[in-house]
Amino acid sequence: MKKVSLNALIGGILIALLLATAALGLVWTPFDPMQLSFTARLAAPDASHLLGTDEFGRDVLSRLMVGARASVWIGLLTVGFATVCGTLIGLVSGCARGWVDGVIMAVNNALLAFPGILLALGLLAVFGANQYGIIFALGIAYTPSMARVVRGAVLSLREREFIEASRVMGNGELYTMARHILPNCLAPITVLATSMFGWAILSESALSFLGLGVPPPAPTWGNMLAAGRPFIEQAVWLGLFPGLCIALTLLGINLLGDALRDRLDPRMRGLK
Amino acid sequence: MTDTLLTVRDLSLAVAHNHRKVVKAVSFDIAPGEIFGIVGESGSGKTLATRALISLLPPAIKVTGGSVLYKGRDVLAMKNRELRSLRGAEIGVVFQEPMTSLNPSMTIGRQLEEGLILHTKASPEERRARILDMLKRVGIRDPEGALTAYPHEFSGGMRQRIMLASVMLLKPALLIADEPTTALDAVIQRDVMELMVELTRAEGTAVLLISHDLPMVARYTSRIVVMEQGAIVEQGRTEDLLEAPQHAYTKKLLSSLPFRGEVRAIDMAKAPMVSARDIVVDYAGRKSLLRKGKAKRALHGVSIDIHEGEVVALVGGSGSGKTTLGRTIAGLVKESGGEIRFQGRARDADWTDYRLNCQMVFQDPYSSLDPRMTILALVEEALRLVPDLDAAAKRKRALETLEEVGLGADYAERYPHELSGGQRQRVAIARAIARRPRFLIADEPVSALDVTVRAQVLDLFSDLQRRYGFSCLFISHDLGVVEQVADRVVVMQDGRIIEQGDRDTIFDSPKEAYTRRLLSAIPALDQNERGGVTLKWRLEN
Repeated sequence: MKKVSLNALIGGILIALLLATAALGLVWTPFDPMQLSFTARLAAPDASHLLGTDEFGRDVLSRLMVGARASVWIGLLTVGFATVCGTLIGLVSGCARGWVDGVIMAVNNALLAFPGILLALGLLAVFGANQYGIIFALGIAYTPSMARVVRGAVLSLREREFIEASRVMGNGELYTMARHILPNCLAPITVLATSMFGWAILSESALSFLGLGVPPPAPTWGNMLAAGRPFIEQAVWLGLFPGLCIALTLLGINLLGDALRDRLDPRMRGLK
Repeated sequence: MTDTLLTVRDLSLAVAHNHRKVVKAVSFDIAPGEIFGIVGESGSGKTLATRALISLLPPAIKVTGGSVLYKGRDVLAMKNRELRSLRGAEIGVVFQEPMTSLNPSMTIGRQLEEGLILHTKASPEERRARILDMLKRVGIRDPEGALTAYPHEFSGGMRQRIMLASVMLLKPALLIADEPTTALDAVIQRDVMELMVELTRAEGTAVLLISHDLPMVARYTSRIVVMEQGAIVEQGRTEDLLEAPQHAYTKKLLSSLPFRGEVRAIDMAKAPMVSARDIVVDYAGRKSLLRKGKAKRALHGVSIDIHEGEVVALVGGSGSGKTTLGRTIAGLVKESGGEIRFQGRARDADWTDYRLNCQMVFQDPYSSLDPRMTILALVEEALRLVPDLDAAAKRKRALETLEEVGLGADYAERYPHELSGGQRQRVAIARAIARRPRFLIADEPVSALDVTVRAQVLDLFSDLQRRYGFSCLFISHDLGVVEQVADRVVVMQDGRIIEQGDRDTIFDSPKEAYTRRLLSAIPALDQNERGGVTLKWRLEN
């Protein structure tokens, strides 16, 4: 097999670290992430609290480890939801065309016109602010852009001669869709899904920041960032480390996404 | 003035990053007013070599040696300023793709004016007068109106005329025409070429004509250079080169030209395999909010029969409806009227049977194969719906079929992008015949291929057709190819069939004026014993 590109390697390492941290956070953390300690409030990073403590004396590293799980979980489920729904809607819309396409795209465009975060805010007000509310709300907010991208890809693929060749062979619409159209849409889907993962983590942070995310005291990177804001002048590590985690995760996801797209595309194989 | 206009000596080009030589020591001279041809297949370096003449090489290509002298001045040593005054004013260029070589967001008038502003001191009134005069000369019907029109309002042929007008406005001493008519259909191709020759002759402009189409180049040039893999293999006077070729590659090119195939006995008394009656196809017009747009009628009641084992060629210019008819028979376009019968039964009565027995080969081998499937998977997919074959038998049949089209087992696991155009078209043919269809529709199956590859694919097609005896509807704008493979020829124009008959009758004594025009675009070939050919051009009247 060909050698792995540097980007894929960096992305892979970052994501592996993230997943390992999240997994480790399930079974072991240096301190109890909920343990308050009034003697060690806003302690700077040192040998015992590697990343310092927050305003209630809770260990930042432990909270980041536990928070990683929530952030990854929310990111994955949101992207999964948006990708599955968006791809299905896009496929149906692109393949059906006619009035079906018209109606779906009209609704889709109306949703797109809403800023994603505003839409999520509204939906959260209905579903209630908890982890699954966030996933559902963000998933719905991201579905239209996925649907749009997939529909575009389907429309251009439909005109290609290999789709007609499939029809001439007597293959049914569903088979053609699954065998020829969907696999050829994978490249834009992967690219969009990976960047969505980033948006989802950021939006979760933003919603938590606004107080509509996962309710405290359960840590997520977003609500840690939000909670650290008032103390940023005395304790820069409260904002720095959750922020760094989010940034590195996004970097890793994007690098890995690009590598994945290239790997999934047979045309990129064997090219030096 | 010297007696050569352009002198190219030992011009060598290489790819900058890996030093692969793409043009190897190419030398030729062009005299003032001469029409000079360069012939070669794709990858022969003909386009790059001519780009170097005006220093318009892509950044990845570097000149590694040789000189280009234009009127005694070295073009390769010129500064950008000098080059700019050379390009356009002294040396004009007409590119292949008329659809993209005009700026779509500028009016024709503005585009034609650009060169005049840059290279002449003519006043606005003078410029306008010259542009109008030139547009009239290239045969634009309403020159005044064309000034304010945009490129998309014109057909491909008209755009190429406009392109020619914009170049000839500046009366260059040399016109470089790189595949100027390849994207156009045969009749328009000839009109544009005649116009180019007439204009350049009137202005005393020399022409460097670059093309893969040897007969076309031979028709208009006095001398020809043949290039293969970056090097000149042969050059000489056009007639000498055609009639007594020296180099093996030139002979190969000449023998790859389509020659008339043998006459075959077809049993016309039997009921036809495929019979289409009074087919009408309407394309829906643009719909607006309040009213349905007027439908455009693409086929006006067309009837065609294809007998068992017969190859029927459907010919015509672009927009004649030949592709629509093929697609309608294939069931890709829904007819608004008429009936299609297959083996004596209505086609629509048994689609399963029809799909198993009717297959299609498409024009573009680059888009007719799913890029995400291996060659074997592509051919196997064609067998998916065939009853009475288990998985092992299907795999065996797929491999056998690949073998038959000349692609051995080591191609089976490759992807389409790893194959050349000719190999891809072989895969497309394998996919179509794997089911052993009774009827094959081939839509311009060799138009996208190089001359020698085209000859190989056509031979393959004829072999397979003889072996399996399928009937075939062969759609093509290239009458040369048709002359080689067809038993019967059907000529279409504007959605109607205007003439049909067996091949020799159509080619030797066409009745309709349009058929004669089509035929006047291709030569009749006589092969001689030295491996050369004599071209005879058919007269229009």
